[in-house]
Amino acid sequence: MNEVLTLKNVTKSFHQKTAVDDISFTIGKGEVVAILGPNGAGKTTTISMILGLFKPSAGEVRIFNHLPQEKQVREKIGTMLQEVSVMPGLKVQEILELIRSYYPHPLPMSELISLTGLTGEELKTRAEKLSGGQKRRLSFALALAGNPELIIFDEPTVGMDISSRSRFWQTVDSFAAQGKTIIFSTHYLQEADDVADRILLFKDGTIVADGTPAQIKSQIAKPSVSFIVDPETSLEKLYLHTEIDDIYRKNNRVYVQSSNTDRVLELIFQEKLAVRDIQIERGKLEEVYEELTRGTKEAV
Amino acid sequence: MKIFQMQCKMEIVRVLRNRYFVFWSLVMPILFYYIFTNVVNTNPQDEAAWQAHYLMSMTVFSVMGSSMMTLGIRMVQERLQGWSTFMRITPLSDSVYFAAQMVGQSVIHLFSITIIFIAGALINNIALTAIEWVMSGLWILLGSLPFLAIGTLIGLMKKVETAAGVSNVLYMVLAVSGGLWMPLEIMPKVMQNVAQWLPSYHYGNGVWEIVRGGAPEWKNILLLVTYLVLFMVLSKYIRRKQEVA
Repeated sequence: MNEVLTLKNVTKSFHQKTAVDDISFTIGKGEVVAILGPNGAGKTTTISMILGLFKPSAGEVRIFNHLPQEKQVREKIGTMLQEVSVMPGLKVQEILELIRSYYPHPLPMSELISLTGLTGEELKTRAEKLSGGQKRRLSFALALAGNPELIIFDEPTVGMDISSRSRFWQTVDSFAAQGKTIIFSTHYLQEADDVADRILLFKDGTIVADGTPAQIKSQIAKPSVSFIVDPETSLEKLYLHTEIDDIYRKNNRVYVQSSNTDRVLELIFQEKLAVRDIQIERGKLEEVYEELTRGTKEAV
Repeated sequence: MKIFQMQCKMEIVRVLRNRYFVFWSLVMPILFYYIFTNVVNTNPQDEAAWQAHYLMSMTVFSVMGSSMMTLGIRMVQERLQGWSTFMRITPLSDSVYFAAQMVGQSVIHLFSITIIFIAGALINNIALTAIEWVMSGLWILLGSLPFLAIGTLIGLMKKVETAAGVSNVLYMVLAVSGGLWMPLEIMPKVMQNVAQWLPSYHYGNGVWEIVRGGAPEWKNILLLVTYLVLFMVLSKYIRRKQEVA
């Protein structure tokens, strides 16, 4: 595998508070990786260390085998930060030309415009007069300006409407198809599932799961059988069977969790339990997500 | 080099589009100049000398203001809005970025100086020799350095409001007590003594000497250089402290 990014035992603490705790992972060329997790899980801190904005308290970050601060690394990465920022006093077109001039092989202006959907009028507008959505688009264009090999987005779609969101991901897909490496953070599970071919699931500063969306689902999400039953009915008999991992009530339904749902059905009929409206549920990524990130302390 | 030129050009465009700059650094000084040499009768003994003196005062006033305010407030804005963070991720090095800002700012100053000189020459028919014009311009351009350093100090402040407030007050206090608005001779003795220690007075005095047909005093140069070094060291020290925190 062609390594693009490596984090080795990276820890970052701020005033004794550990934001990222001893994480290690490697990302290869062409991967599309989602850094998924609730607020305060350490996503932005990790991205800031990858970008060389923060120095790790311990461990090391290497991009293309170099330190993130080095110029040759900077020439190959593009980024869109959470906080959208623009250079006041300049028109969109001027900013794009300025930023393009920093890179050895920038993306042609026409391509940049068509990729990001900036209109002719927007190009002539001063940056400080843009709306939130327009600023996002400019920010996206700035990330692509240098024709980067590694693109890093911190919560890219926050504040985007549905159409710009789908356009955004289409563009990202086309970049991925060109063999570019893409890393993005999100707390939208759906996005991670749809777009990424690998998910790093963060919780309390550590990585609790790392794999394809399918792997993560099968690894952790357990299927269950759910049904409605009279509260008087005793379910004690079910507890005796070792195939059943857990039984719980939620919204008037009883959920019986087991990797072997056929066996659960068999047991229900065998024990002649008076249940109705039986449903079999496959593990959903949402549940895994909730499960894994439950009890996350609200961090700053 | 191409990057540097491009960066400078953009810095200049940005300043010129800033309405506050155009008002405070060009319109105000010229208006003041017109008022205090034509509308208000100050009854100077030597009218021509007063007109040349006050033109220099107003030019110094203009350049001092844009050095302290334009640069400082913009630095705070860029940091707060995350632009500085974005720039750190681009291949543009910090030093090139900083140098481009300084060069851009100096070109702007040269522009202000030229405009105000021309305006003054047209308003009052000021007759200085070519050498005097050039030397005056150069003095004002180079003498702005300590004030640019104050600008970078202001640029370290946490809020735009604080930066704007502090720089405004500092600007006015330095201008008035340095004798840029009215000659020091008509001010109380205490003020005159204080002025001897202010960078603004020495900045003004250098160029006043030039239009009087002389040359800046050594004391003027010495004090301005001392202030420059002091502010630069202070700025560096605070920056380092902020980075650690």
